[in-house]
Amino acid sequence: MQALAELKDQIRKALPELDVVIGWQQGYDALHTRPLFIRSEEDIDKLVVNEFCVVNPSSYLREMRGGKKVGLVLKGCDSRSVIQLIQEELLNKDDLTIFGFGCNGVLNHAKLQARFGDIGYIESAESDGNTVNLVVAGNKETAPFAELCAEKCLTCSYPNTLQCSHFAGEESDKKAEAAQDKALEEFEQLSMEERFAFWQDQMRRCIRCYACRNACPMCVCKDHCLANSRQPKWLSEDVDVQNNFMFQMIHVMHLTGRCVECGECERACPMDIPIMLLRRKMAGIVRDVFAYNAGTNAEDTSPLMRFEVEEPTIEERH
Amino acid sequence: MRIGVFVCHCGSNIAATVDCPAVAEQAKNLQDVVFTTDTMYTCSEPGQNEIIEAIKEHNLDGVVVASCSPRMHEATFRRALERAGLNRYMLEMANIREHVSWIGKDKERNTVKAFELVSIAAAKLRNNNPLFANKFDVTKRVLVIGGGVAGIQAALDCADAGYQVVMVEREQSIGGKMAKIDKTFPTVDCSSCILGPKMVDVAQHENITLYAMSEVEKIEGYVGNFDVQVRKKATYVNWDDCTGCGACMEKCPSKKNLDAFNEGISKCTAINIPFPQAIPKKAAINPEGCMMLKKGKCGVCAKVCPTKCIDFEQKDEILTEKVGAVIAATGYDMFDHSVYKQYGAGQYPDVITSLQYERLMNASGPTGGHIKRPSDGKEPKKVVFVQCVGSRDPAVGRPYCSGFCCMYTAKQAILTKDHIPDSDSYVFYMDIRSPGKGYDEFTRRAQEQYGVQYLRGRVSMIYPKGDHYVVRGADTLAGTQVEVEADLVVLAVGAESAKNAPALAEKMRISYDSYGFFMEAHPKLKPVETNTAGVYLAGSCVGPRDIPTSVGQGSAAAAKVMTLFSKDKLESDPQVSSVNASRCVGCLKCAKTCPFGAIKEVTDRGGNVKAEVIETVCQGCGICTVTCPQGAIQLQHFTDNQILAEVNALCQAQLDF
Amino acid sequence: MSGSTGLLTEGQDLRIVGFLCNWCSYGGADTAGVARFEQPTDLRVIRVPCSGRIDPLFIARALLSGADGVLVSGCHPRDCHYAEGNFYARRRLEMLKQFLSVTGIDPERFHYTWVSASEGQRWQDVVTSFTERIRKLGPAPKMSGGTGYDEECLKEIAAAVSLGEQCPCHKEKA
Repeated sequence: MQALAELKDQIRKALPELDVVIGWQQGYDALHTRPLFIRSEEDIDKLVVNEFCVVNPSSYLREMRGGKKVGLVLKGCDSRSVIQLIQEELLNKDDLTIFGFGCNGVLNHAKLQARFGDIGYIESAESDGNTVNLVVAGNKETAPFAELCAEKCLTCSYPNTLQCSHFAGEESDKKAEAAQDKALEEFEQLSMEERFAFWQDQMRRCIRCYACRNACPMCVCKDHCLANSRQPKWLSEDVDVQNNFMFQMIHVMHLTGRCVECGECERACPMDIPIMLLRRKMAGIVRDVFAYNAGTNAEDTSPLMRFEVEEPTIEERH
Repeated sequence: MRIGVFVCHCGSNIAATVDCPAVAEQAKNLQDVVFTTDTMYTCSEPGQNEIIEAIKEHNLDGVVVASCSPRMHEATFRRALERAGLNRYMLEMANIREHVSWIGKDKERNTVKAFELVSIAAAKLRNNNPLFANKFDVTKRVLVIGGGVAGIQAALDCADAGYQVVMVEREQSIGGKMAKIDKTFPTVDCSSCILGPKMVDVAQHENITLYAMSEVEKIEGYVGNFDVQVRKKATYVNWDDCTGCGACMEKCPSKKNLDAFNEGISKCTAINIPFPQAIPKKAAINPEGCMMLKKGKCGVCAKVCPTKCIDFEQKDEILTEKVGAVIAATGYDMFDHSVYKQYGAGQYPDVITSLQYERLMNASGPTGGHIKRPSDGKEPKKVVFVQCVGSRDPAVGRPYCSGFCCMYTAKQAILTKDHIPDSDSYVFYMDIRSPGKGYDEFTRRAQEQYGVQYLRGRVSMIYPKGDHYVVRGADTLAGTQVEVEADLVVLAVGAESAKNAPALAEKMRISYDSYGFFMEAHPKLKPVETNTAGVYLAGSCVGPRDIPTSVGQGSAAAAKVMTLFSKDKLESDPQVSSVNASRCVGCLKCAKTCPFGAIKEVTDRGGNVKAEVIETVCQGCGICTVTCPQGAIQLQHFTDNQILAEVNALCQAQLDF
Repeated sequence: MSGSTGLLTEGQDLRIVGFLCNWCSYGGADTAGVARFEQPTDLRVIRVPCSGRIDPLFIARALLSGADGVLVSGCHPRDCHYAEGNFYARRRLEMLKQFLSVTGIDPERFHYTWVSASEGQRWQDVVTSFTERIRKLGPAPKMSGGTGYDEECLKEIAAAVSLGEQCPCHKEKA
C-alpha cells in the first residue's frame, strides 16, 4: 500500500521531534486493530492503515495535555475531533503533528456479525475497498465492503484528513452516498409514540457503563463529568430508564455544535444501543440552523459559544 | 435543617381564593419543615416579628414565606431574617398572590398550587447556603445624561453636595425644552428667567464638567465603577477659545439653514449660537449648511473670528470618564403631527405646533415676541387650539395622555389674549386634565377671565379657505358639529420618547417600554431607580412630566446618588458565580460567553489553568453556569442543585440529595 | 383585547413547569397578577435570574421526570437585563426544541418565548394558549419506571459475561 509506506516514512522522519505517535496496529485477529503508540523506530513497522482502523486515536489525547509533542495518524473523521479541540483551546496546535491519508470507510463489526454470525477468530482479512475477503477456520468468505461499512461512512463528507501536516498516498474521492441520513430518516418515519417506546426499550437495556462517554473524543471533562458528581448532582445512581435517558440528554447537549459524528460512542456501547441517532440528529440541527460542521475549522467558534442579534434561521417564538 | 413556613393571607388578597391555613397545615409534611403558620399580613411589623420570634423559639435555620412576589418583598423578609440572626439568603418565597390568588378564582386549585409553590420553595431552601457580601470601592462622580431642567437640577444638587458631575448634552446648549418655552403655567412667569440662572450655575460650578454637542457612546462596568465613553461631536470651532461674540454669525453667507432651536419656523446661519442665553455660549458649524465643509470654498467665519478658533479639520473625539453612578434625564420629543392627514399632514403653514407657537410668543424668538402668522406675517385674530394631537389616540400608537398639554394650551390661550387683546381663542379638548397645585384654577381663569372658548370634542378636519382655515369638529356637550374659522391653528402635540432612547437604554442595560420610555424599578415605590444598580432616572425620559415634577425627580435622583456615595465602600451582591477549582478543567468557555468580562484565567499552584470570577464585575446572570459542561462554575443562590431541587420537587421525582 | 381566557375547569391540573427570568418575564407574570388577568392554574413558576441561566438540561430533566409541559420565557431579544443572556438562551433552547422530536418527546410540550415586565396581557395570552395546547396533548407518556432490565436483556448480559475465557479477545495468538 502506497499510503502506508509513505506514512511510515513520514513518521520515521518526524519521530525524533515527537514524544509519541499514535496510530493503529493489528489486534488479536486480522479483522481488529488496536491503538499503537510509536515511541521508537522499531514500533513504526507495526503501523497498519486499512478499513479495520476503526477507533479514533485522538481519544487518547485528553490524557496527554501539558506540552508533550504528539503525532497522530488520523482518518478524516478523527481529524475533525482534533480540530474541534484545538478550536476550544483544549489542545495546543503546536504540540500536534497530524499524519493524514485518504480513507475509504471503515468496517462495522456489528454488520459483519449480523451477516456471518459469530464467526470467531479471523485468520486473514483483506479489503480492496470494494470487497472484503475473510478466511475463517480455513473457509473463505466474501462480502461487498459497502454492505459492511460503518453507517457514518455512508454520509461522510470528510474522507481525507483535515489540516494535517503530512498527507500520505492519494486523496480519497469517496463521496457521501447521500447527504441525507437514511437511518435517521427511517427512524423519523415513526410516530412520536413509537419513538418514545423505542427509546424506553433501548434505555431499559442501558447499563450506564459510560463506555459511550469514555470513547468520545469530545468528552473533555475527564473525571469531572456531571454524571458522577454530587455538586452539582444531575443523576442518581439508579440505573433506570429516566436516569439513563437523562445521561444521553446530557451527552447530546454537551456535544451540541461539538460532535464530529465519529461514531465512537455507539461503537463502544456494549449493549448496541443506537445512540448515534441522537448525536446525528443534533449535528443535523446544528448544520441546518447554523450552517456549522464541528471540527472543520479551528479558527471558527462553536454556535453555542456565540450569537447573532438577529437570528434569521431561528423562527421567532411567540 | 429546620425550616419554618409562613403563609400570608395578605388581608383578603390571598385568603379570598387560597385556603391559607390548609396550605400551612399541609406544609408540615414537607421534609425538614418543623414549624408552619398562617398570618394576616406577614410583611407588617407584627408579621415580621412573628417570623423573628419563630426563628428564635423553634431554632429555625431557613424560612419560607408564601406571600406576594419576591420582587415586592424579598428585601423586607431578608432584613427580618437578619434581625433574627439568620443569613439573608436562607429565605425563599412562594409567590402565591401575583401567581396564584390574583389570577385564578378556583379556591381548591389555587390551594393545591399554593402548596406546591411552597414545596418548591422549601426544596430549594434545603439547598441554600449562607452567602456573604464583599466590599468594594466607589468612584464618587456621577454622569448626568441630558441637560434639560431635570438633568440640570440633578447635576446642581450633586455638585452642591460636593460630588463631581459629568454632564453630557446632545444639543449645542443645555436648557432642553424649557429653554424654548416662553412662560410657564400656572404662574405665567418667564421660563428663561427661572431656568437661565440655573443654566449659568451649571456652567460656573466648579464640580460640574459639561460636554455639550456630545453623546454617550458606551457604558461599561458596574455600580460604583462605570467606565463611560463620551463622543464629543465635531463643532468645527475650538470651544476653548470661542468667546461667543457672534461675529461669525453676522458674516456667515449661508443663512438659509433650518433653525432647530426655533422649531424650524425661522432660518439661521450655518455657524450659529442657538440663542442668546445658550450655555455654553459657543458657536458651532452645521456641516450640512457650511460652504467650506461642503465645497471647500468660503471660510469667512475663520477670517472674521477674533480668536481664530474656527477649525474646519476638527473630528469627533472620544473621551473616557470614570463615574460611580449615572442619572439619565434625556427628556422627550414632540409628536410628529404629519401623520394626521386630516390636519394637513404638516403642509399648512399656519397650522403649527404648540412648541413653535412658544417660539412665536417668546421675546427672544424669531418674531421678537410678536405673534405673526408664518405664511404672511399678519397678526392672527382668531386662534384655534387643538388638544390631544398625538395623545390619547390609539390610532396613531399613542394611547397615553401626555399630561401637560391641557395646561400649556390654557397658558397659550391666555398669553394670546395678552399679546393680541382683540383676538378670540378657541380650544378643542377631550377632557381638561389639571390635577396640580393651582392648575384647575388656571384653566378656569382662561375660560372665565380671558374668555377662551372651550369646545369639548375631537377635531375631525382642518382645511384652508381663502387666507384662513376652517376647523371642523364635534361639540359633544352641545351635541352638534361645529366649524370654527381660524387665522392660526395651534396643535397641542403630545410627548413621545426621545430619539434613540432605546439605544441609550441598551447602553445603560435598563429596560424601556413599547413607546421607548425608560422603565423605572417600580412605578410607585422606586420611581427614579432602575433595575440596574447605580443607574437612576429623572424627568420625561420615563414618561411625560411637567416642570415641577421633572425638577422634583432631578432632586430625587440626586438624593439617590448621594445615598449611594455616602458610603466609602459598596457591598457586592453575593449572588454571583463561583468556580469550584477542583472541577474546573480550564477550558474557559465561561470566560468566552461572559458578557461582563467577569471571568479571568488563573494558574493554580500545580500549573493548571483555571477560571476565576471577579466578584464585583459579575452581575449574576448565570450564562457561564450553563456554558460549563462540568458544572464547575455555579451561580450562587441559583446553583444547578437548587434549580434541580425545584424541578424535582415539582415533578415529584425522587432523587436523594 | 379579549377578556375571555378560556379557563379550563375540568379535571386535575396538568404539570406545567415554567422557567422565568427575574427581570422581564417574572415581572410580566407579576404585572398580569396585579392586573388580575385570569389564567389557568396548571403552571408552576421557577424563578431564575436570566434566561441565560436556563440550562436546556433542566427542561430535559423536567420532561423526563414527568412534566406535561415546560414553558420558558425571558426578556425580548435586545432587552436582556444582562445584555446577552437571552441571545445565548435563544440558541440553546432552539437546539433543544428541534432535538426533542427524535427522543419521542413531543416538542409541542416545550415552548419558549419572550415577555417583558410590562406585558401582563401578553403573559396571560402565553400561559392560556400554552396550557390549552398541553391540555389538548393530555398528560405526557410516563417513563417506564423501575430499575433493572427485562429478562431478555438480562440473558443478553449473562451471555456476554459467561463467554469468559471463550470471548475472542482472550484468544489472541501468542
